[in-house]
Amino acid sequence: MKKNTIVKALAFALALAAISPLSAKPKTGRTVAEIKKSKTIKIAVFSDKKPFGYVDENGEYQGYDVYFGNRIAKDLGVKVKYVPVEAAARVEVLATGKVDLVLANFTVTPERAEKVDFALPYMKVALGIVSPKSALITDPSQLNGKTLIIAKGTTAESYFSKNYPKINLLKFDQYSEAYNALLDGRGDGLSTDNTEVLAWAIENPSFAVGAGADSIGSLDAIAPAVQKGNKDLLDWLNNEIKELGKENFFHADYEATLRDVYGKDSDADSLVVEGGNL
Amino acid sequence: MDFNFIKEVIPLYVEATWLTLRIGFIGIILSFITGIFCAVVRYWKIPVLNVIVRVYTEISRNTPLLIQLFFLYFALPRLGVKLSGEQCGIIGLTFLGGSYMAETFRSSLETVGRPQLESGMCVGLNKIQLVRYVVLPQALSVSVPGLVANIIFLLKETSVFSAVALADLMYVAKDLIGLYYKTEESLFLLVIAYFIILLPISLLSRFIEKRLRYGQFGNS
Repeated sequence: MKKNTIVKALAFALALAAISPLSAKPKTGRTVAEIKKSKTIKIAVFSDKKPFGYVDENGEYQGYDVYFGNRIAKDLGVKVKYVPVEAAARVEVLATGKVDLVLANFTVTPERAEKVDFALPYMKVALGIVSPKSALITDPSQLNGKTLIIAKGTTAESYFSKNYPKINLLKFDQYSEAYNALLDGRGDGLSTDNTEVLAWAIENPSFAVGAGADSIGSLDAIAPAVQKGNKDLLDWLNNEIKELGKENFFHADYEATLRDVYGKDSDADSLVVEGGNL
Repeated sequence: MDFNFIKEVIPLYVEATWLTLRIGFIGIILSFITGIFCAVVRYWKIPVLNVIVRVYTEISRNTPLLIQLFFLYFALPRLGVKLSGEQCGIIGLTFLGGSYMAETFRSSLETVGRPQLESGMCVGLNKIQLVRYVVLPQALSVSVPGLVANIIFLLKETSVFSAVALADLMYVAKDLIGLYYKTEESLFLLVIAYFIILLPISLLSRFIEKRLRYGQFGNS
């Protein structure tokens, strides 16, 4: 009995040590020179958030974020390795050094800015709610007492947890699971970035974004994120975004990846941020 | 390590622990019943049911719980059957656990030697009395280590329930990391919570074994 207790106590202590702050912290991310030397840049993107980051039928990454990622890799002269990421893991994946850059439609918030460094924005966004046309939601307060589907780790989650505590939140890890749940009628609506829900509603005709539910919360910026303290890569990125602004790169990005989704009458300037000027 | 944060979120973890334990134990008890039924069917080689049980055992042991849950939660609605997250969790756990329990029970039933059965029949016991007075007592005491191992396995498997939006421990930990970025604190509490659930079960198993198998441990 004594030996057994000692073994158990040792095992417990080991488990504690493994996740205690005594374990070494990773150094700040790779500099531009290091990335160029390794000939590859690792970028985290979504694999199921059409049309911003997704995998097409040929297994290639496509989307507004990915188009930008490809240009970054080209200008650095390296190959790009896309790492699929869940919304809730975007900060972790940088802090642990698993990627150099996050281009997963990452909204700038003060809480996130404490943990990662954001570059200049390349997109603007607010929140939106998509719901079935037969029971359209036109105001978030209509969801009080009902169920709203969200993905964990998104601004929609923080916004609705804080401002509408009476809404029941059904939370999923992946966007694909969340959309499937909405299609199965497990919630009365789904909320994430308005750009995203609008694109999805266009592809799924029995759903729509109600008139009062297409721009909820503040207008936020979406920007690339690097590991905290990685001044080298951050400065390079900010320079790059300003340079790309001179050739209207993000408008071209919109035409290449989003025009087909939103239609020829949609206004690119409602979404695009050129040269980092909101 | 932010201890204020830990103090604030402990209630969330307690709630998640209750949910894990509740669904876990309902699933385990249903698995027991399924397991005993399947084991008895295979022991007595009842004709048609035997084949059904063997097919069920192979299917459920060779597919991961996560896949079974996804099928129940996302695929069944397309066929018209919509189950809630909790129902999926219980059904999935019973489906998987039933076959593990069945195999454990079956092996312990078979350890009861033929001489025991024959002596019983010589003394004049009928089949049901045989099972009740000779086979089951011996089989149950032998099966305790295997059963406890299965219970611990099933309780750990509950960590995949977050995939069907059930607020279990893994769900709460991931949620807190996504909202507040306090990875170390959340994961630390997660490990502690699972340890608190599982350690008493290991200790309980030693106690039960001592009581049931006093032939080996003595009457201490």
